[in-house]
Amino acid sequence: MDDAVSDYYFTASMDSGKTLCSLLKAIQFQESAVLCALPEGLKLTVEEGKCVQASAYVPSDNFTEYHVRDNVDVMFKISIAVLAECLNIFGSGEESSLKMYYRGEGSPLLLVLQPQSVHNVMTDCEISTQTADSVLELRDEGTEEVAKLVLKAPAFLGLLADLERSCDVIELKLSPEHPNVSIVTYGMQDRSCIDVPKSSDMVQSFSCEEPVTLRYQLHHIRLIMKALAISTKVVLRCSANGLLLLQLKLEKEDQRQMFSEFYIVPLLDD
Amino acid sequence: MIDAGPMREFSNIVTTISKLSKECVLRVAEDKLYFIVSDENNGPAPPILWCEIPESMFFSEYQMVGLDDEHKDIYLGFGAANLARSLLTLKSAKSLKMKLTKKQCPCLTLEIEMPSSTSQQTRHVTHDIPVVVIPRKMWADFNEPKIPYPDISIELPPLKQLRTTIDRMRTMASEVVVRASAEGRLTLQIRTDMAKVSTRFKDLKVEAFGGPIEHSDSETESQVNEDMSRICYCRVDAKKLAIFLSADQISHNRTICSIVHKKLIILCLQTQENVRLQCFITGIVY
Repeated sequence: MDDAVSDYYFTASMDSGKTLCSLLKAIQFQESAVLCALPEGLKLTVEEGKCVQASAYVPSDNFTEYHVRDNVDVMFKISIAVLAECLNIFGSGEESSLKMYYRGEGSPLLLVLQPQSVHNVMTDCEISTQTADSVLELRDEGTEEVAKLVLKAPAFLGLLADLERSCDVIELKLSPEHPNVSIVTYGMQDRSCIDVPKSSDMVQSFSCEEPVTLRYQLHHIRLIMKALAISTKVVLRCSANGLLLLQLKLEKEDQRQMFSEFYIVPLLDD
Repeated sequence: MIDAGPMREFSNIVTTISKLSKECVLRVAEDKLYFIVSDENNGPAPPILWCEIPESMFFSEYQMVGLDDEHKDIYLGFGAANLARSLLTLKSAKSLKMKLTKKQCPCLTLEIEMPSSTSQQTRHVTHDIPVVVIPRKMWADFNEPKIPYPDISIELPPLKQLRTTIDRMRTMASEVVVRASAEGRLTLQIRTDMAKVSTRFKDLKVEAFGGPIEHSDSETESQVNEDMSRICYCRVDAKKLAIFLSADQISHNRTICSIVHKKLIILCLQTQENVRLQCFITGIVY
């Protein structure tokens, strides 16, 4: 067994690729993603311009088997659309077991899928990989966090869905005073405002010391909606430089967790 | 037509046909109905779909008069979607009567008896579908296709399963290679710049094998541990294959896939009522 594994930079298997597939679809707003297999887990990152960075993170305990060779960086670019289609090859109604192999730089990512209910069929995929461009390092350890909110994902999704689509800019005002959170959008002729006090049902925790106002492109914020739809909880973190980090916990039946993470760069004041 | 089961089947068959083609020819013969679809782009060419429906299983009463003793058939051309739409209500109907009538133009008249939801009485709905009576000299265009002897005939796995897979593949590539081996393996494969995806089914029943298959080495990739002379394949348009697979609407006994190496795929679906639906998909050769 160990001999076979050591031929590969990276191998992994799991009982059902379904959750992974829906997680990928949630961040599939670009054609290709950077896949990075770390000893702690698998991470796929997608970037929109230099403004939004979304990652799907699958901790290694989600896999029945997970192995990354020591002393190598497993990191490559891959088409996320093709990867998602391949994971879904037997249809969304079917739970299928998944095995992944990656031999080394330049070689394709191999997938073997087998549905759980039918035994005489299997699919193998060879998905070509490319050398990864560098991934933006948006996190700045030196910057302090000015606010942190924990919200229920379905309620937050409903709130975002209510916002007028034609607006370009969304303004997020956070303050220790009532109404702790207010979300303002500016349209051609209107301005609309949603207030969410920290006593609201959708707010699970709220911390903010100083009032802060941040502006983002609404289009960027809307990118998280697909991920919100499959998550239970979302953590919003704002740092002093305005960078917004959203961490979403995926809704899953078992105890093991999967996450998605979005960094959104703020709009600068004119 | 008075039985609910056959009426539903009949509607399903016509719906499937309407997805494949706009135009369709109905041949009414002494003991069978035939639906024939020709390739729209190629003019008079071998049909791409051939469906036989035995009258005795479907109709409680069946009368037809042909031209004369030697030409007993009637050939009607019409829009398949028109018929499919009219037959949609059959799922809840009590009876259906089909007639060829002469109104402003020749029409296929459907008289459908519907149960009323509010009272004991029934409602009668009449649909007139304009048809073109095809003159005798053109009948030859709609002869039963002469099928080349297939190299292999293999039973297909459940169509629904096959269809989900093809639908996924279709999003990635427009052509799919269907490969069948005399050992009962069937492989669907796509190949693009981005990916190579193969779905393999095994333990399928092989109905007939004509082999050995001759491969010219230049175009065949070598497969390890497989005897190539027992494998044949054909590259086809993924969309056409997907459309045929939507025939899983029709409750069927079994489906056979026959392959003429590199040239043609024949998919044949057979139902309990002895309806036989055959689809011909020509291979793409570079």
